[in-house]
Amino acid sequence: MTTLILNAPDAFSAALFEEMKQINPGISDLELYEFRYGLIDLFPEKGWGSVKLDRKEEIEERLNSRDFYDGIQIKPKLADRIVLDEQIIRLAQMLFVGLITGEYEHEWIKKHFYFDIRGFYFLHRTLYFTDNVLAHFGGKPFKRFEQKQKDFEWRQDLGYKDFKYSNAEVDALFIESVEKIIAFRGTPILLAIAGPTAAGKTEIVECLRSAFEQVGQQVTSIELDNFLTDRDQREVKGIHSEGKKAFHFELFKQSLEDITHGKKISIPCYDTVYATSSHDLQGNLKPEGVPIAIEPADIIFIEGNFPFLYDEIIHLIGIKVVYLTDDPIRIKRKWKRDIDYRKKYDSTYFRNRFFKDQFIMAQIAYRPQMEVCDMTVDTTGAALWVTPEIGEILRKS
Amino acid sequence: MPGMDRLNTPEISSAILYDAMKRINAGIKDLDLFEFRYALENVYPKDGWNFVELEKPLEIERLIGDRDFYTSIQLKPKDGERIVLDENILRLTRMLFAGLLGKEYTEEWVMTHFYFDIRGFYFLPRMVYFTEDALAHFGGKPYKRFEQRQKRFERFQDIGYKDFRKANSEIDQAFIESLQTLIQVRSLPLIITLAGPSAAGKTEITKRLLNVFEKAGRKSTTIEVDNFLLDMEYRDKKPMGKESTHFGLFLHSLEMILQGKKITIPRYDFIYATSSHDLGGNLKPGCIPIEIEPADIIFMEGNFPFHIEELSGLIGIKAVYLTDDPIRLKRKWKRDIDYRKKYDPAFFRNRFFRTQFLRAEECYRPLMKVCDLVADTTGAAFWATPEIVKILSRD
Repeated sequence: MTTLILNAPDAFSAALFEEMKQINPGISDLELYEFRYGLIDLFPEKGWGSVKLDRKEEIEERLNSRDFYDGIQIKPKLADRIVLDEQIIRLAQMLFVGLITGEYEHEWIKKHFYFDIRGFYFLHRTLYFTDNVLAHFGGKPFKRFEQKQKDFEWRQDLGYKDFKYSNAEVDALFIESVEKIIAFRGTPILLAIAGPTAAGKTEIVECLRSAFEQVGQQVTSIELDNFLTDRDQREVKGIHSEGKKAFHFELFKQSLEDITHGKKISIPCYDTVYATSSHDLQGNLKPEGVPIAIEPADIIFIEGNFPFLYDEIIHLIGIKVVYLTDDPIRIKRKWKRDIDYRKKYDSTYFRNRFFKDQFIMAQIAYRPQMEVCDMTVDTTGAALWVTPEIGEILRKS
Repeated sequence: MPGMDRLNTPEISSAILYDAMKRINAGIKDLDLFEFRYALENVYPKDGWNFVELEKPLEIERLIGDRDFYTSIQLKPKDGERIVLDENILRLTRMLFAGLLGKEYTEEWVMTHFYFDIRGFYFLPRMVYFTEDALAHFGGKPYKRFEQRQKRFERFQDIGYKDFRKANSEIDQAFIESLQTLIQVRSLPLIITLAGPSAAGKTEITKRLLNVFEKAGRKSTTIEVDNFLLDMEYRDKKPMGKESTHFGLFLHSLEMILQGKKITIPRYDFIYATSSHDLGGNLKPGCIPIEIEPADIIFMEGNFPFHIEELSGLIGIKAVYLTDDPIRLKRKWKRDIDYRKKYDPAFFRNRFFRTQFLRAEECYRPLMKVCDLVADTTGAAFWATPEIVKILSRD
């Protein structure tokens, strides 16, 4: 019976359509023929019957290993076209076949993967709240609201207006909490917000900025990327944009110290077009380089992916925040923002890159920073998490 | 001039344009200003809006009515490795934005002549399908009109089939019932052609019609007109019609099937863009033709000029299935770009802009002057010639 269906593409796709509605209810919005269109790119050359299934434990192990993601190619090509990485295709094929044969249960698939309809592929669910992170926050959130992002599960893409609306409660509490901490700790204060792409960082920073300005506080920001060294130098050393060595780290540390003491600072300027810094590797201004002058301010935002990853500067940052939105929601925001509106990437390049970066960035940036931050805003979980120390400040004030 | 300076400040001009565009296309209200700005970045002129040279409205109207404008649209112009929007399409959108900002063009004029597609973030000219000739042909008014349920799609950025079908349920039902009535009074075998632009919904309605006729015990079949195409290299970009098909074979096949005979027709290979038949109409060695069994009802569906004189007489019922361009474009975003991932989006935008006009001119407008029925799904109106109306009202 199963063998029969594996060798009959129409019967297979019709059965899969029904199964997939249970994995992602948004599939119900599709007509069967639309579902089949999505499936074309994933159809195995020798038919569904040729797909060899790995054991569940093997799959879990692979999807939790960095090597697997390092191996994902972001621009593999077939003739002129960028295609999906073959490991990504293989994963989707296995899960589809396993769903039909019953080899993989719905529960197992839903626990470890989510299916993005627009991209028409499975992605691994990344765990952000690890045991260490939970322990850091004392095991439970400071406050939890109704999870209004639930409604987005069915969607194929997501605009900012709906997103903002769904986060109104947790965002409001977050802003209020930051104001209380600032009142408690005093100014000048450094405020760093880390978070994955499309989690909503830029927008929440804008909200905070206008809240501060309304009460007459001076606000400025420092972009971590301005401290990057020349790309050529980094590439020679193979360090790309990760790690202290990619930055004028001493200058960074000194600048943060100075501005928290109310001093005007002068920082390097990184030219993103030419990928060069205004400063040489010794941290001296190049003859033709023009630095950026930053006036003293009450509240200084640090912007970038890794603002408090490094021990040497953690103590300088007054409020360390991780702003999170779940991967299935972020990818929908990116479809709308980066693909539809900005037309920034080829859509398949985007699918490969999101699959890869989601894991790697959680591992190198977000989980480590969640273990040391003061608060985490989880917009999808509609929860604000704070350390016991911050919890006390918030309750007192 | 202070006013001009304002327009050249991107922050200010984009906010003004955002408000104006909400009135041109209500769907813009679903965007946040920063999202609108992201999209606008791709069309922002290098030196700002002040430096966009504007043509007079009449000159623009002339331009968008000129076939040469569309034939010169490039489908795959490149900037580095990337396919970009054709420069004339880009120039048109920039002019309209700049003209709206500087109040050179009224919003009303822009809306009369253009529609704005949000997902593609560009303006396209509105095509007239119901020309005066077509209206006269149908006696000036539709046979039936229903509530226009596609109205709610105006704000959408893309449209899936389920919503589309639901919006069309009344007009589709009227269309199906009318064809049922007509085949009862016509002698069989009968050829029915269903022409209509890409993504108007032809394939889906044809499938439903086939089902209905099968259930009524009529043997039905379809002939895909594309199978009569010549090898691409011989077509030399000629539009669909006599010159680009095995036309003699086509006519002969239709005559035979109307006599109740089984026919053998060419097979067109879309991957290699070649026909199974040579220019002399003979089967090439090693190629396999398509066999079609006799049937009561023979459907032909496609973007074909079924009004060609020699062909016209063989066709029992000529129907056109229309959906407005802005809606078709949204259906194609969902179907061809999101689900099928068939084209590069910039290539797709160029091509839609170009073919929308060329097909209307070559195919649909002439056909509408002579066809029997038009189902206009967007207008939710069903048009029939006086002769057909007479038959339908008798029922």
